[in-house]
Amino acid sequence: MLKIENLHIDVEDKSILKGINLTIMPGEMHAIMGRNGSGKSTLANVIAGKDGYGIIAGDIFYNGESILDWSPEDRALSGIFMSFQYPVVIPGVNNTYFLKAALNAKRKHNGEKELDAAGFLKLIKEKLAEVDMDPKYLQRAVNQGFSGGEKKRNEILQMLTLEPTLSILDETDSGLDIDALKIVAAGVNKYRDANRSFLVITHYQRLLKYIEPDFVHVLIDGQIMKSGEKDLALELEEKGYRWLEA
Amino acid sequence: MNLSNYRTEFDKILNRDYITDVVRPMRKDAFENFFKTGFPTQKWENWQYTNLSTLVTEPFRLSEIPDAPKFSPEINPYEIENINTIVIYNGHYQKAISTVPDGVQLLSSLDYFEKNSNEVESLEDSPFDHLNTAFMDSGVSFVISQDTNVKIPVRILFISNGEESIMSNPRIYLDMGDSSSFTFIEHHVGDAASFFQNASFFASIGVNASLDHIRIQSNSTTTQNMGNLKIKQETDSQYAFTQFTDGSKMGRTNINVHLNGQGANCALNGLALSHGKQHLSNYIIVEHKVPHCTSSQLFKSVLREKSSGTFNGRTIVQKNAQKTDASQSNKNLLLSKDALMNSNPQLEIHADDVRCTHGSTTGELDADSLFYLRSRGLDLRMAKSLLVRGFATECFDTIQNEKVRSFIMKRFNNWLN
Repeated sequence: MLKIENLHIDVEDKSILKGINLTIMPGEMHAIMGRNGSGKSTLANVIAGKDGYGIIAGDIFYNGESILDWSPEDRALSGIFMSFQYPVVIPGVNNTYFLKAALNAKRKHNGEKELDAAGFLKLIKEKLAEVDMDPKYLQRAVNQGFSGGEKKRNEILQMLTLEPTLSILDETDSGLDIDALKIVAAGVNKYRDANRSFLVITHYQRLLKYIEPDFVHVLIDGQIMKSGEKDLALELEEKGYRWLEA
Repeated sequence: MNLSNYRTEFDKILNRDYITDVVRPMRKDAFENFFKTGFPTQKWENWQYTNLSTLVTEPFRLSEIPDAPKFSPEINPYEIENINTIVIYNGHYQKAISTVPDGVQLLSSLDYFEKNSNEVESLEDSPFDHLNTAFMDSGVSFVISQDTNVKIPVRILFISNGEESIMSNPRIYLDMGDSSSFTFIEHHVGDAASFFQNASFFASIGVNASLDHIRIQSNSTTTQNMGNLKIKQETDSQYAFTQFTDGSKMGRTNINVHLNGQGANCALNGLALSHGKQHLSNYIIVEHKVPHCTSSQLFKSVLREKSSGTFNGRTIVQKNAQKTDASQSNKNLLLSKDALMNSNPQLEIHADDVRCTHGSTTGELDADSLFYLRSRGLDLRMAKSLLVRGFATECFDTIQNEKVRSFIMKRFNNWLN
């Protein structure tokens, strides 16, 4: 599904990613762990297509096609989704309006009929229940007046609504209390299936108790220093990152 | 500055039969005042960003009988349901297609002026005020009696059409009795190739009275539109002004509000949308003269291409105007590298127990917000228009009338697309 080959990324002439290789097969859940500044969010943003990153070398393939030249919206319409570490507040833009526009853009892309207001409302009510989110948040402007936890739920709500095939969850656990974390994790777990893949980026092992990864990669200073199965996360929790540093 | 064509036109107006002895000397004084200074140049304070050269180089003339339409003009494109409309076409009142509601007494401004000549004070006149007094058409005056709630809004629809360089100087008086309420809409439209409109609007809002004033300025982008608003507010009166501007080449609104009675409140909102080489500006003076008044200014501009704009807001709090609560906010969105906005919010506070705030921001669309929307599958065009809409819509929150608001929203959406 996703293949990253020898990816080197600069930000403002500073080398951030130094040769990343990563392959994610359909149905797999991969976790990337690392400290602040190790390049985790850069990797997520580059896959999602954010501007401002200098691609020095390497390539990213999604279902066999290089996506480096694709716009963010083309990536999204093809099934790539990123849950933001810091979801953006957009005053004046109604959350329902935004979600409906996004869903209909996707349906149109897939050759499906666009949903009308009633059809959308029915669908969104089901999705809201899955993340235990109060419908009042739909009436607000996008992320405006949302607590940290509500913003993250809103991200997962968008994921469940847009039904991506590759979901990148960037620090989705930050800002969540334990109850909210369980709810969000349950939403993600329910969404897992044989054709859907995940890249979970996290600082702590905490989230991985509730979302069990198939593979864990440790990112240190722009390089994957170690990969393993889910037990690696526990080992990191115990020993920290220092033993892996050069 | 060669103003000889204005002199020629003025001589013509003095010979018109509706000029009475009451207004003749006033017109003459006003014209000589105008003629002495001419139009403001860009060296004048508060006029440095307003390019008025067209007013000197184009031979604008008075509207004559042949400039009136032969048949009633088509007003369907400007249809707003459930309102009354008074149509003025190139300065000519179109009685056959105009309607006036109950509770409103309609007078020509000359009639009004003759009956109330002592009460009309002029406030810090600019050459455009003098020009309006010198050339004012018969105009329209509304007298709303005490305790009258006019339920149906009244609109004056100004249509400027044709190939000729015509000038029109409408004069509107709105005299609101105590505890009355009224919604008044000024709507400027037309496809004139060259037109100069210089309208003056005087409102006197009585004790506990409430005026909703909506100004939609959608002239052709070859029009010069100057609006001069003078508002006087008595105790506990409310004035809500909302302006939507997407028309004219040079559009400037000069607003002067006098808060004369305690507890008076004014809320001034505006959205200006410009493209091409349009220049749209607002010059505002709000004077707090007595204690316990509130005022707010919220003006936003969205500028495309090589367009430009100015916000110049002054709030003056006089020495005895304690407990004043005043705010000014100006926010501007530049959608092109060539667009230019001048923003100048000013507070002049002479009292010591007041709450006054002001702020101004000018910037491009936020890159993080754009990426966020695009990462959900919205294309660049849609993401941009969603952000512009999000930026602008709060300007319309003060419009109470649903039909009027949706008319403006439709116009706004057209501009976005």
